[in-house]
Amino acid sequence: MATQAAFYERFERHAGGVGLKGTSTHYCPGCGHGLAHKYIAETLGELGIADRTVTVSPVGCSVFLYYYLDTGNTQAAHGRAPAVAIGHKLANPESIVISYQGDGDLASIGLAEIMGAAQTGIPISVIFVNNAIYGMTGGQLAPTSLVGQKTATSPYGRGHLEGLPLKMAELIAQMDAPVYVERVALFDAKNRVKAKKAIKKGIKAQVDRKGFTFVEVLAECPTHLGVTPPEAEKWVKEMMLPVYPLGVKKDLLAERDWGTLPAPTFEPAEVAAVVGAGAEAPQRFAQGFPQTAWGDDIALKLAGSGGDGAQTAALLLARAAIHEGFDATHIPSYGPESRGGTSYADVHVAAHEVGSPAAPKPHVLIAFNGPSLTKFGPAVAPGGVLLHDTSVAGEVPAVADGVRVVGVPFTKIAAELGYPITKSIVALGALAGATNLLPKESFLTAIRVQLGGKKASLLAVNEAAFAAGFEAAQPAN
Amino acid sequence: MATTVENPRPKAAKPKPHLEPDLCKGCLRCIESCNHHCLMPGHEIDPRTGLIPIEVNLENCTACGLCFDACPEPYGLRPEIPEGQPEFVRPEDADHLKRPPRPKPQDVPDALRELPSGATLVLKGNHAAALGALLAGCRHFYGYPITPSTEGAELLARLLPKLGGVFLQAVSEVATVNHMYGTAGAGKRTMTFTSSPGFSLMLEGVSYMIGAELPGVFVNVMRGGPGLGNIAPEQADIKLACRGLGHGNTHAIAFAPSTPQEMLDLTRLAFDLSFAYRNPVVILADGYLGQMTGRVELPKALTQPGLPKWAVSGDASHRDNLISSIFLAEADLEAHNRHLDDKYARMAREARSERWQCDDAEVVIVACNTPARMARGAVAELRQRGVKAGLFRPITLWPFPIDALAEALSGASRLVIAEASSGQLEDEVRLAASHAGLALPPIAAVRHSGGVLPQQDEIVAGALAALAREASATAAPRPAAPCDCSDPDCGCGDEE
Ligand code: SF4
Ligand code: SF4
Ligand code: SF4
Repeated sequence: MATQAAFYERFERHAGGVGLKGTSTHYCPGCGHGLAHKYIAETLGELGIADRTVTVSPVGCSVFLYYYLDTGNTQAAHGRAPAVAIGHKLANPESIVISYQGDGDLASIGLAEIMGAAQTGIPISVIFVNNAIYGMTGGQLAPTSLVGQKTATSPYGRGHLEGLPLKMAELIAQMDAPVYVERVALFDAKNRVKAKKAIKKGIKAQVDRKGFTFVEVLAECPTHLGVTPPEAEKWVKEMMLPVYPLGVKKDLLAERDWGTLPAPTFEPAEVAAVVGAGAEAPQRFAQGFPQTAWGDDIALKLAGSGGDGAQTAALLLARAAIHEGFDATHIPSYGPESRGGTSYADVHVAAHEVGSPAAPKPHVLIAFNGPSLTKFGPAVAPGGVLLHDTSVAGEVPAVADGVRVVGVPFTKIAAELGYPITKSIVALGALAGATNLLPKESFLTAIRVQLGGKKASLLAVNEAAFAAGFEAAQPAN
Repeated sequence: MATTVENPRPKAAKPKPHLEPDLCKGCLRCIESCNHHCLMPGHEIDPRTGLIPIEVNLENCTACGLCFDACPEPYGLRPEIPEGQPEFVRPEDADHLKRPPRPKPQDVPDALRELPSGATLVLKGNHAAALGALLAGCRHFYGYPITPSTEGAELLARLLPKLGGVFLQAVSEVATVNHMYGTAGAGKRTMTFTSSPGFSLMLEGVSYMIGAELPGVFVNVMRGGPGLGNIAPEQADIKLACRGLGHGNTHAIAFAPSTPQEMLDLTRLAFDLSFAYRNPVVILADGYLGQMTGRVELPKALTQPGLPKWAVSGDASHRDNLISSIFLAEADLEAHNRHLDDKYARMAREARSERWQCDDAEVVIVACNTPARMARGAVAELRQRGVKAGLFRPITLWPFPIDALAEALSGASRLVIAEASSGQLEDEVRLAASHAGLALPPIAAVRHSGGVLPQQDEIVAGALAALAREASATAAPRPAAPCDCSDPDCGCGDEE
């Protein structure tokens, strides 16, 4: 039965398809690329998959693969074809994606992309045409050029600095993820039959959802070898074969199954559950924005060392304020300086919109350790509040006019409760006790929401820590 | 578009080869394949090709078929038409062989689907942008971890699998942008989170995406540079986003959000615009904004993306499509660049900005991202002190909202530009003003870099100093500088 090779009837992209260019390739006479193209086109016809095939053209002589192959076509940047192919495959797992590359593209500039793609095992079919030289740019050294091979950029032969030929098929086969790797050649009828079979096998494996496949084709570039095509065939046979042994390097087709991917969903109910839309609004307790001497944009700083929970407390504070309908921001200090060293958080609570989210002169400072007390204490704005942990060493520095200093043993209280990690919640309770920033219930609600259903068992502990901090910071103390 | 021709290789009735001499390149590869010596090197140059086609004598031909597999040309050696069938017809004339016409691709429009409303969320900027992407219908994320953008990727790694989406950590930013190129080429919504050094690496691919007219959203949470710099916030990629998107004639809409809410809203909008214009869109955030937690309201609807007709999506109706940035002929490439220029010109309508207290402002402060919030605080403080200050906040840095800035400056005698870079925002302001023929008032710069943001008190001081300079300048006007240069292009003679 006749099948269709997936070549365009007329190569309209080849100089408009006018004249001979409409029916012949741009390749030099005898170029191996034409054969590789033909075997792909025939395979797609025989498997009946041309409709769902996407071919990725590389940069190199085969940059214009899309002139000829009658499939969906994408042209990629130099070396990046396998990465582009993965993008296509993951966009449409049912499509058959072929990544076609030459040796400069795949084995030099695109090494990272081909290794990365192979390592994922994502089912794409890579056809690698190795002719041991750069074609399009005019016959320069390829990573697959042979030792001693003279090229435009190795005029004295591939030598000391150029290293040794790179055996891609063996390299790819060494990786665990690829399912089928073979090296074939085109120099005689027997090998061409094998080459066609290998290309078909590699593509069929993708139809069968097996995984990543790689077929290296030793090909002729008569032009840059400076010989006739039959001589180029002989060169491949006699010179390349000893370096690049032919054959199947790996075949796990019988045992591997990559499977497929689930279809994306856009169902509002599912998306809402994932993004947290439609959650019930927490109850509000505040009677309007807190009446303090600090205006309608209140700045707070919480500072301590890495494990003190300054960030946790700051986030809970911002959350509580947002629940109450105010604007609030939290900015952590982050990066290496926050690991082990001082970690501080700036919080703003504003009636309308927070201006600067930084708190260089906070209205309220919560200092969890001595260094924070020393560093940030003097910065507290006049009329502000300085809350600090009296169970750790540290001198209260000179503070601005009217700053109220409140000492509460955060660490000691948390330890007495048996949960040292609730120190930050004790501090939050102390904040609620020492100021009228937000009602107690706002904080407790924020703690409840933050813990979620998962850590409900911790709720009682946290509530106790909050209450203890609150008590300890009452003005009476 | 192009069509396929029947290239029959019947197994039962094996054909002998047929050769159209002008389609033979005379490479001689087929000669050796024939054991029956049917194919021989030719001797005469074909005047149509300048090549020497082979000669064919099929007397001893067994129709083994080996020669077909040896010919590199698609329409070189072809199976002969059996007797009784119509004569060989050149493929381009073979109307009777043409396969039935393919279904034409159609644009499938996006659909908005209602989302339940609920509580205000408390989110950090990076997370808000990630949710914005999900609500915009993005189900394909590629990225390479880099501080301070990584939380966005980490959240999507958790959430995308729950929505049947794809999260792939690429081997590099180079691979990332090329995965995006592939997925975008397939007509799907795709994005990445990155930070400055990573964005630098992606720019090759961004240029290809622009050249091939592919949509995609890049959230660049800017950090300190150059080189490895540090991971603290900076705004020093403004020049990359506005002037340096890889090689060639490239531009992209560049948003500068300043709150977690805007991280969500602008990321959503970025997807729509990137498809509307078939062009990448860049979100420039700063490290502070990425880490900043604030309140976020979710939109009332999510987007269920359609499929554009230009997509290479691996099906029959899209089979004729091509994604490419190659235009070999100079005239074609110039025409393509003109087309891109037209598109960039149309993007001017996407310019967005916020003006706050500018109506009667004597001094206008220009700032974007987190520094715009410091500037907002500064304006509030200046107003409290009785200084007529205003904030102009560009929301798009490219296209720059120059018309809106002109309005904001209508009563201003001083301009303060506050930024966490060595003048990249100022350069954009000056360039846009120059193109628009807008004369700017004297500019005072409040700048930091290295991970420090301009603080509110510094901006206040900068504005006060700028106004003071003006006051003294008014009190004692600078004498017209006598210039003795003889350069006719020197502006010395024009001074009022
Ligand atoms: S230069 Fe070499 S690889 Fe390129 S088309 Fe010519 S023969 Fe083929
Ligand atoms: S079909 Fe076989 S015998 Fe006939 S010309 Fe071709 S190679 Fe020779
Ligand atoms: S292989 Fe094809 S192009 Fe080459 S000589 Fe034979 S018929 Fe001509």
